[in-house]
Amino acid sequence: MSSKILLCKTDEVSDSAPLNVNVEGFPSLAVYEFEGDYFATDNLCTHGNAMLTDGYQEGEEIECPFHGGAFNIKTGEPTAFPCQIAIKSYPVTVENNEIYLVNA
Amino acid sequence: MQTIPTVDTDKFNLAQTLEDWPQAGEGFAVPYSLFTEQEAYTAEQERIFRGETWSFVGLEQEIPEVGDFKSTFIGETPVIVMRDEEGGVNVVVNRCAHRGAKVCRSLRGNVPNLECVYHSWAYNLKGDLIGVPFRRGLKGNGGMPKDFDMKQHSLQSLRVEIFNGLVFASFSSSVADLETYLGPMASAAIRRIFNRPIKILGDERQRIFGNWKLYSENTRDPYHASLLHMFHTTFGLYRSTQTGVSKMDDNRCHAMLTAKAGSSSAEADAEAYANQRAFNSEFTLQDPSLLKGKLEFEDEVTLVILALFPNLVVQQIANTLAVRQIVTYGPKEFELVWTSFGYVDDDTEMQGVRIKQNNLIGPAGLISMEDGEAVELVQDGIQSDQNNVSYIGMGGGRSEDADHLVTEGTIIGFWEFYRNIMSGERKV
Repeated sequence: MSSKILLCKTDEVSDSAPLNVNVEGFPSLAVYEFEGDYFATDNLCTHGNAMLTDGYQEGEEIECPFHGGAFNIKTGEPTAFPCQIAIKSYPVTVENNEIYLVNA
Repeated sequence: MQTIPTVDTDKFNLAQTLEDWPQAGEGFAVPYSLFTEQEAYTAEQERIFRGETWSFVGLEQEIPEVGDFKSTFIGETPVIVMRDEEGGVNVVVNRCAHRGAKVCRSLRGNVPNLECVYHSWAYNLKGDLIGVPFRRGLKGNGGMPKDFDMKQHSLQSLRVEIFNGLVFASFSSSVADLETYLGPMASAAIRRIFNRPIKILGDERQRIFGNWKLYSENTRDPYHASLLHMFHTTFGLYRSTQTGVSKMDDNRCHAMLTAKAGSSSAEADAEAYANQRAFNSEFTLQDPSLLKGKLEFEDEVTLVILALFPNLVVQQIANTLAVRQIVTYGPKEFELVWTSFGYVDDDTEMQGVRIKQNNLIGPAGLISMEDGEAVELVQDGIQSDQNNVSYIGMGGGRSEDADHLVTEGTIIGFWEFYRNIMSGERKV
C-alpha cells in the first residue's frame, strides 16, 4: 500500500518560486510548479552544496545559484555545466490543493 | 688605447638610447643601461614578449591528455597551456575576466575545466566562460546586470602554433606564421632534433639574478664556451679549434652554434690553448661513464645551441637533449625552465646515458652552472655603470655568420634585431 506524505499546499509554490520542503526521513526537497503541474526533486545540488530553491527556475529547468548549472525539474537530469550527476526526482500527487509525496 | 664612447645622459631615456646607439669603431657596443633600467624592461614586455614575436610555451608532450595543462609565462605575463576535448592546444592569459586574479595556481595538472578560486568563475578548456556564481541572483537577490553576456568575458586567448611538438604562442595577430618567423635554419635545426616522438625525462628550474638579455648573449657566444667552461675543453666536448659554425637566420635574431667533438687534433688544441687555464688534460673523470655515449646524428655534430628570439634555447650537448625557456621576473632577474627529453624509442641504456649526462646541464650542470654565474658576474659588474657600454669585437665586430667558433658575430646580430624591434621598425 503506497503511503502519501504531505509536502505543502499548491498556493505555496509557483513557477518563479520553487519551495524548499523538509520532511522526516528525506533529504531537503524542492517542490516546483510548471504549467499547472507539480514536481519534486532533491534540493541539494549534486555539483556543490547549494540549495536549488535559492536558484532560478526557468520553465522546466532549475538553475543552481552557485555555478549556473541546471537540472530538469521533471526528471532531475542535469541540463547545464557543471552539473553532471542527476538529482533524485520524486513522484507527487495533488489532492484538494495539497501536494503529496507518493512513497512507493 | 682605443677610447670607448660613453653615453653621458644622467636620466635614462630609452628612445634616445635606441636612437643614438653608441659606436665603437669597428667593434660593437651595448649600453649597460639596457640590462638595469626598469623602463627598458617594461618596454620589452610590450614590444618583444607581447609584440611581433612567437614565444615558446611548452612541449606538446607535456600535455598529452585531454584536460592536461601547464602554467608558464611569456616574458612575465602568466599564461596557461591546455589540451581541450578535441585534442587542440590552447594558450590563454592566466588572468580571470572578472577582476584579474590568476585562475590557474598550479604548475601542472589535469582538470575538466578551469575555475577561479576568488569567485568560482569557471572556464572551459578553451578559456570560454561557462560558469558565474549567482549569475541570476540568490533567493531572488543580486545577480548580474541584464545585459551580462558570458561570451564577452572569456580568458584572453593567444595565437598558437605547434612546430614538431614545440608549442609557441603570440600576442600578435600580424606577426608572420611560425615557420616563417623561425626561418629555414632554425626550422631545420628543430626538425633535426625533434625528428621522432620524444619522451620527457624531467624539468629543472634555475633562478638567475641578472638581465634576461645577458643569457641571450651567453647562448649566442661561441667565444666563451671553450674558455669559461673548463669541462668542455678539458674533456673535449667543445673546443674552439673544432669544426663548428655560428650562424643566424636572415633577421639575425635567431642563432645556432654547432661543434663536432673530436674534430680537433690534440696538437692543434695544445697549441691553441697552450697557457689557458681551461685546457688542462691532467684532469680525469673519476667516473668516465658520465661521458659514455654515442654519436646519434649522422652529421656527427655533438653540440648544438639553437637560440631562438626571444625566449627559447634548444640544445644538444653530447647526448643530452633539452629546451630552455626564459621567464623574466624583472630587469635583474629571470628564470630558466629546463625540460630534458629523449626519444620514445630510446632503449633503457640510452635513456640512462641521457639522464647521467644531464649532470652537464641545468642549474648545477658541470657546464651550464657557469653560464648562470657569468650572467650574474656581468649584472654585478655593471651595477653603477649604466652610462658605460660593452665592447663586442671578436670575429671582426659585425653580425656575420662564421664557419668557425672564434666569433661574437651572433651576439651582435641579436642586438641589431633588438634595437630594431624595440624601435618599432622590425616586422618579421
